[in-house]
Amino acid sequence: MTQKKPQNIEPTASAIDQAVSQSPSSEHTEQAKAQLAQTRPTNHLNGLKTMVEIDDLSFSYDMGKTNTLQNITLDIPEKQVTAFIGPSGCGKSTLIRCLNRMNDLVETSRITSGQIRIMDQNIHSKSVSPIELRKQVGMVFQKYNPFPKSIYDNVAYGPRIQGIKKKSLLDAAVEKSLRGAALWDEVKDRLKDSALGLSGGQQQRLCIARTIAVRPKVILMDEPCSALDPIATAKVEELILELRQDFTIVIVTHSMQQASRISDQTAFFYLGELIEYNTTEHIFTNPSIKQTEDYISGRFG
Amino acid sequence: MPNGDHILSTFNDAQRALKEATLTMGAGAQRNLEHAVRGLFQRNKEFCNQAIADDEDEDKLEIEIDRMGMNLIIKFRPVASDLRMVIASMKTASNLERISDQAVSIAKRARKMLKNPELAEVSRVEGLYQVTATMLADAMTAYSDSNAELALDIVEREKMLKKTQKTISRFFAKKLEGETEQYRDYLDLVFICRWLERAGNLSINIAEDVIFEETSTDIRHGGDLPQALQDFIG
Repeated sequence: MTQKKPQNIEPTASAIDQAVSQSPSSEHTEQAKAQLAQTRPTNHLNGLKTMVEIDDLSFSYDMGKTNTLQNITLDIPEKQVTAFIGPSGCGKSTLIRCLNRMNDLVETSRITSGQIRIMDQNIHSKSVSPIELRKQVGMVFQKYNPFPKSIYDNVAYGPRIQGIKKKSLLDAAVEKSLRGAALWDEVKDRLKDSALGLSGGQQQRLCIARTIAVRPKVILMDEPCSALDPIATAKVEELILELRQDFTIVIVTHSMQQASRISDQTAFFYLGELIEYNTTEHIFTNPSIKQTEDYISGRFG
Repeated sequence: MPNGDHILSTFNDAQRALKEATLTMGAGAQRNLEHAVRGLFQRNKEFCNQAIADDEDEDKLEIEIDRMGMNLIIKFRPVASDLRMVIASMKTASNLERISDQAVSIAKRARKMLKNPELAEVSRVEGLYQVTATMLADAMTAYSDSNAELALDIVEREKMLKKTQKTISRFFAKKLEGETEQYRDYLDLVFICRWLERAGNLSINIAEDVIFEETSTDIRHGGDLPQALQDFIG
């Protein structure tokens, strides 16, 4: 496959390596990195603080025989909603699962090149435990998956694992999280009821409450509304816009309308490559790449 | 419009139908303007009446195009150039309806002037009409062919249009001085010149919408030209 560089994007990891190899001192290395940071695909981010940096990332599910992701470079800004769009099989879910190392669970999976840094920390470095990483990078799945426990216990699960035992602290965490997930008013009188008795939309918001209970920095959402009706979808979308004030959100969606409604930045992927990354307004009004326009306007998929 | 067909053939059909309706309306506006001016030049009441009567078709088409555009947005949620095409078509329809209204105003004045003796100087309006009619025809060609360069050329004719209108209007205004018998006819000719200029300006609006459709750049009210068109004009 011919490797294409996406618009606005200058894959930098190999360039960093080159710069590093040419600059023996660490001072020079830092300078080289600083210079290269100027050329990252952040032109449209207008100086927003970066939460996640993906550098020249390639990923394989089959021990490196074929790459599912090819040389992905993009920066995800803090406290913004970034949408990943693209046809099925383009690698957007694979990429989102790389961000909290969910793909580690697949034995034959490998990062074949590049790296991911979250808050300037390489998430694949030996000092980072996947468990700790997932506290910082929470995930909400396509199909809501509450534990077969009470509403309260679902939300208290994370804080309890973190060692919080005092009831007043747990109560406060549960209430704060349920309020944060816009669910408190609907469930405050039945916190001891089974979570499985809630409607689909409520269960998904409960899963979001469970995620934010451990106060992650980043929330990954893999098609969080695909199993919900339009009203429940609207509530979750409204919630995402509120959560943006406190969390960095990355969402995979197949709904172009959803991406255009709730995201600040949009990245379009095709066949494992990042084709275009820009502000959502730019992508949906005047995309720079014909492939992007063909996809968002329904000319291929 | 982007090249290539949409996955939904009904989307292609709806978009094509919208474009065809807008082009039909454009042809109607051109015809109405021509009938009005022929009524004036040839002192022909039939042409005047035709222009006035056919305006109703334009009104109906404007409503129909708005309905088609709204349905297209509701059903298919177009984005990017597809969305711009729908918006540009609806705005073009609005401009064409107003051009047809100018034709009606001209036709009514021309019909009124039939009651008075012929004025030889009426032929001086011909130059202004040619400028306006060419702008309108080119604007519809630019819309039909998605031709931003031709559209820009129309936008750049604004000064020439204004100058032509001013020159002819000044001539008729001068004729008004000391004229007692047919001063109303000269006054009507001043108005007719203004309506023709107005039709030219509305054609410029259409051209600006074509540029928006093709380049996603809003150049109205002094907006910057897109780079591709800046290169085109050097």
